[in-house]
Amino acid sequence: MDIVVIGLLLGGTYALIAIGLQLQYGVARIMNLANGELLVAGSFGAFWFFSSAQLSPLLSLFIVTPLAFVFNWLIYQYLIRPLVRRAKNRGQLEVDSILATFGLSFIFVGLMTAIFGGEYFSYSYLEQPFNLLNQSYGLNRIAAFLVSVVFCVALYIWINRTQTGLTLRAVAVAPESAGLVGINVPNTLALAFALGGAVTAAGGASLSMFLTFDASVGVIFTMKALIIVIMGGVRAINGVIISAFILGFVETAVATLIDPGLTLAAAYLLFIFILLFKPQGLFGGHAS
Amino acid sequence: MLEIKNLSVFYGRHRAAEDLSITVSQGEIVVILGANGAGKSTFLRAIAGITPYARGGFVSIEGNDISHLPPHEIVEAGIAFVPEGRGIFSDLTVKENLALGANPLRARKKQSENLKRVLKLFPKLAERKGQIVRTMSGGEQQMVAIGRAIMSSPYILMLDEPSLGLSPLLCKEVFQNLMKVREAGLGILLVEQNAKQSLAIADRAYLLENSRIIKEDLASILVDDPAVQKAYLGGNGDETGFKEKLV
Repeated sequence: MDIVVIGLLLGGTYALIAIGLQLQYGVARIMNLANGELLVAGSFGAFWFFSSAQLSPLLSLFIVTPLAFVFNWLIYQYLIRPLVRRAKNRGQLEVDSILATFGLSFIFVGLMTAIFGGEYFSYSYLEQPFNLLNQSYGLNRIAAFLVSVVFCVALYIWINRTQTGLTLRAVAVAPESAGLVGINVPNTLALAFALGGAVTAAGGASLSMFLTFDASVGVIFTMKALIIVIMGGVRAINGVIISAFILGFVETAVATLIDPGLTLAAAYLLFIFILLFKPQGLFGGHAS
Repeated sequence: MLEIKNLSVFYGRHRAAEDLSITVSQGEIVVILGANGAGKSTFLRAIAGITPYARGGFVSIEGNDISHLPPHEIVEAGIAFVPEGRGIFSDLTVKENLALGANPLRARKKQSENLKRVLKLFPKLAERKGQIVRTMSGGEQQMVAIGRAIMSSPYILMLDEPSLGLSPLLCKEVFQNLMKVREAGLGILLVEQNAKQSLAIADRAYLLENSRIIKEDLASILVDDPAVQKAYLGGNGDETGFKEKLV
């Protein structure tokens, strides 16, 4: 039971991070390998506000997320857009964007190390126990879970129920047709990328409530998000949410039942199995 | 009125369209006939803003210069384009496709009015509102495509080979639907290989050969033109019946 609850709590935050990557990869079609670094930047943001101004991460979230949106929008306009314009086809864009964002991830790690230093960071926020089904869990974990639930629900409704959300989905499934119905495709791509980055940073800020982090931990989260997105299907937002819970559950189970050192290995094993047997994702269905 | 003057497209050194000038008024069907590779699709894609064309080319609608604008601004100006392959969102539902059609600002106010128009034209779409477009038949998908285009409240509707890949029966249905669209007051610019059926519904026609317009006239006159009969009405096996009747 313990494993299920902790897995669920962890999976909730993973879902948020993965939706961030999904917006960038599934809609904007940019495989952003610097995604994890933006997550860590979100963590540092929450940490900085908490340690310098005693600002609760639940509040600084409202500062960190819009800042990340603007920052990612700038990255898209000045770094990614020239690549999009230059690319003759999707394959070339994929290669170019992977290389560019891979490089970008090193720049971010370097900058964050230079600013904050190379040690581990954590702060104590809501470290009271919270009783649930006769077991106690950290209140901060539950807070982080609730943050991601709020974000996921809001995003889900926005994407599925509003006209802007519809244009986002239209660009994701058929970018060329999107131009024909009057959608400004370049701007929509930039919006999706910036929104993805903002969501990821929000995930980072909520993770920092209970997780110790350092400047170079981002790559692990990039990989986790990637596993979840591949598992859930590039475009299915509900698939990604379910996959995030699967990963959270598997990691927790392996860490408690076998060995904590094996969590990453278990995640990748899962990843390899999915690539081998269901490359379009568990919930991807039709791949066009 | 849609007016195009001296539009040329180059692919490298190859000329895909050369000095094309045409006009299309509201309430008329204009067809551009030409063999495969004559430059028909390129021409429509250039007007729609997808394919860039040479400086000096001029496109205007209702007197507004829209030369060299990106696709989404061309739609805003009042030209809807149904490309080859239909340009629909096959992973989304019928309802979502139609809602997306009304995305241009100029179409939003008239969304419910246009939706009524589309559903009157294609009652089948009302029954299939929630269906994912990919799972529909070719003819039904073509209805979604035309419906989506009408939702953008255009002056001019451009279609690239709407009959492609459809059975003769469905093909006939599509052409009949286009006549209904014309009755609604839209201008239609059609590119076709199916000369027989398209000339039957068209008001005027242009003949495109080797990237140039070689002839322009009323459809009723071109149908009897010996050159047209030889090149377009006798060429295909399935149109021999028509040819015999004419001879």
